[in-house]
Amino acid sequence: MRKSEFAFFALPVSALVAPSTFAVQYLTVDQAQRAIFPGKSLTASPVKLAPPQCKAIEQASGVRVLHDEQQVWRVSGGGWFIVDEVVGKHEFITYAIGLNANGSVKRIEVMDYRETYGGEIRNENWRAQFVGKTSQSPLKLDRDIKNISGATLSCRHITDGVKRLLALHEIVLKRS
Amino acid sequence: MLCMAGMKLVSAFAAFLFCVSGADAHESIFAWTYTTDLTPKGHGEFEQWITPRWEKEHGSYGVIDFREEFEYGVTDDFQIALYLNHRYVYAKDDIPVANPTHPKKLLPGVFETGGEDVHAGHDPTKPFDSYHFESVSFESIYRLLSPYKAPIGLALYFEPSIGDQETELEWKILVQKNWLEDRLVWALNINYELEFEKETGDWERDGAFEWFTGISYRFISNWSAGLEFRNHHEFADAAVHEHSAYFVGPTIHYGGERWWASIGFLHQLPIGEAFSQDNKEFAAHDGYIFGDEHEKYYVRLKVGFNF
Repeated sequence: MRKSEFAFFALPVSALVAPSTFAVQYLTVDQAQRAIFPGKSLTASPVKLAPPQCKAIEQASGVRVLHDEQQVWRVSGGGWFIVDEVVGKHEFITYAIGLNANGSVKRIEVMDYRETYGGEIRNENWRAQFVGKTSQSPLKLDRDIKNISGATLSCRHITDGVKRLLALHEIVLKRS
Repeated sequence: MLCMAGMKLVSAFAAFLFCVSGADAHESIFAWTYTTDLTPKGHGEFEQWITPRWEKEHGSYGVIDFREEFEYGVTDDFQIALYLNHRYVYAKDDIPVANPTHPKKLLPGVFETGGEDVHAGHDPTKPFDSYHFESVSFESIYRLLSPYKAPIGLALYFEPSIGDQETELEWKILVQKNWLEDRLVWALNINYELEFEKETGDWERDGAFEWFTGISYRFISNWSAGLEFRNHHEFADAAVHEHSAYFVGPTIHYGGERWWASIGFLHQLPIGEAFSQDNKEFAAHDGYIFGDEHEKYYVRLKVGFNF
């Protein structure tokens, strides 16, 4: 193969193995905690799920549990703060959820989103759809949660993630 | 060998796109098989395809197909696209020669330059070497079901192509099923193609039925790997079943924020079947099907940029 022919094929191949350099972290854990529970003190209370607990959460939510360790904080005066990640189109999406003392959603924050389309999931209006949801809520795309054009996978996975965390609260956190 | 001016032009254009593109969305995780993922409403995509294919029964034969594709999402479920198809062809002594006294029989051990990609009227005793523009294609895909909302994804595809030597109409049914949080993707395409080809001044009609299937798993962030399979059936005059050829090979895909790329390899399996007398005599060889339609090896690189 001549040099020019090699360059012709090498260009896209070299780009193929080049790392992605545009990952954006919107919020740190500390910033997410202050955004959801301003003025409150939070105590780390990590959860290690036993296999029967994973199974119970999966049965209750209909969503598979990918990690048996969950980053959880207990909030002074009642409530929980959880950092979770779900599968995105290319990479994991990291988000935080605040739960009220009664287990309903106080607020969610997207901490890390690396997909091109669907950046609107960070918008207040889209995230506000989750406020007040409980483990009894349908949490279904196009039913009680609106989809975002070009980001159906991300929207569905965050919706599923919230449903799974509400089941985590019901089965594990509420009883701790 | 390769048309240097064309190569430099495409290389420069690819380099430009690598520098300036700033988004990523609809992407092909397979090299051959289509999924039901579409470009979202109001967004566009540019794709560059490069497909080298080579090796017949005898002699030298190599083609590099180039395709530039511009896609646009009319709605979230309806996408249109325009392709430019052009290719480089090199052929020498690649097809068997018919016996002049028995035209339905070949002359054993005698070959000449020819085949579908060699221009009509070329002297078959000389090698053929050409880079030329092939056709323009218009594609439309309408998605009936999204795999992210329904149990399966389902879409309908239609593509007419117009060229000076060949005009084609192609229909596809696209099916997709996802598992494991959409990291494991299976896709099936059922295709029918009608070709109107200019042969020594007259237009000849051929038909092809083929199906592609692929399965791919996103094994780490951004990277998927899988396997693709193709089965092609050719019909002379869109009616007489001539042959069935089989292909299989791996595919790897990278999807980032700004662009994506897929590269796949297909190897023809030596289990092909020739049905017509003409194909039994002239196209089948050691279980492979060559003739006008097939080569032994295929590689396809697709790179996409969204805007």
